[in-house]
Amino acid sequence: MKKGYVFAWIVLVAANGQISAEPSTQVAWTPETLRFVKNGDAERGKELAQACEACHAATPENAESEFPYLQGQSATYLYKQLHDYKSGSRSNEIMVGISAGLSDQDMADVSAWYSRQPLPPAKKADEVPDTIRKLVDRGDGTRIVAPCAVCHGSAGQGQTMDTPVLAAQKAAYLEQTMLAYKSEARRNDIYRRMRLIVQQLNDEEIRQLARYYAGLER
Amino acid sequence: MHIHPLERRWIYVVLAVIGIFLLAIFYTAIARNIHPPSHIETIDSASLHLSEEFAEDKLGVWTQPDGTIKVTLVAARYGFYPREIQLPAGTQVTFRIASADVLHGIHIPMTNMGTMVVPGYVSEITTTFPKPGEYPMLCNEYCGLGHDHMWSKVTVVAKESWPAAPNAQPVRR
Ligand SMILES: [Cu+2]
Repeated sequence: MKKGYVFAWIVLVAANGQISAEPSTQVAWTPETLRFVKNGDAERGKELAQACEACHAATPENAESEFPYLQGQSATYLYKQLHDYKSGSRSNEIMVGISAGLSDQDMADVSAWYSRQPLPPAKKADEVPDTIRKLVDRGDGTRIVAPCAVCHGSAGQGQTMDTPVLAAQKAAYLEQTMLAYKSEARRNDIYRRMRLIVQQLNDEEIRQLARYYAGLER
Repeated sequence: MHIHPLERRWIYVVLAVIGIFLLAIFYTAIARNIHPPSHIETIDSASLHLSEEFAEDKLGVWTQPDGTIKVTLVAARYGFYPREIQLPAGTQVTFRIASADVLHGIHIPMTNMGTMVVPGYVSEITTTFPKPGEYPMLCNEYCGLGHDHMWSKVTVVAKESWPAAPNAQPVRR
């Protein structure tokens, strides 16, 4: 009898959405956190980054791999991703393991170094369709999709805090990232902002947007 | 630099008008203690998603035990979250809104629902929607390049087709 009550309670509570889900990230951009990341030691970060370079270096050997370029990415974005891997807000077999061994200071230092490196050379895309340019510059009001450029910049240069640089990133990585947001495999965007946008796009639009941004140089 | 006397006269008039407006604002604020209604409850905008009330899974429409409705919303560049909500007509609705970044405004045209959303403060506004229909919910304070794309959808349904709330638990819809 009692068991039945407990079960009914669980069902009720679950149906009412009372079981609190984890927040999408544990990182909050308070002035202290911003200052901490800004003061990352790039010299020390350079040494730590030697281990990252095997996969993330902007070399021809790495061009076809699935691993993203980190050079020229914003420090706050990189810091947040490392932090999210460690806290379990973002999943990836390799990165969760690596981030587990990093302290907050290590994360800030590595991020500082990568953010000071020049962007890798862009892979110029042949013409992207006009509909894609329109999504980038004007968005689509019928789907409540804001233009990509209002947050990621007209040259894909990103914005403070957690809006990443997209210019010159690998097209394959950008596509895979958008698809991960679309399927909710990736969930570390605060208030689902990126998921809500990407879920309005079809897979062909996602592929073309990825090509477009991979071809931008800053 | 030469300024035409007539133009100069009008510049003085305009400056005087601006001066009167500023005086009126400072007078009401300082002498009469009248401030924007949202300047009461404070909250940390940077860690909004880690707060109790504005956590991601706490946003949305809640039926209170007394049958009134509470809506918890976050305004962030560039949208109101959740992006689409449904409300019953002819029922008292209390919105509680916080900004995750900069100053926003919130406004539902054709209704009297409108307030500023100041970062660091919780805005609260209570209203009743008399007519069912689909309404946009717009940002009316310039907040950045995507400001004109900042809107969400509000569907007001007839009270009869709104499911009755179970007794005690606030129900999330
Ligand atoms: Cu706004």
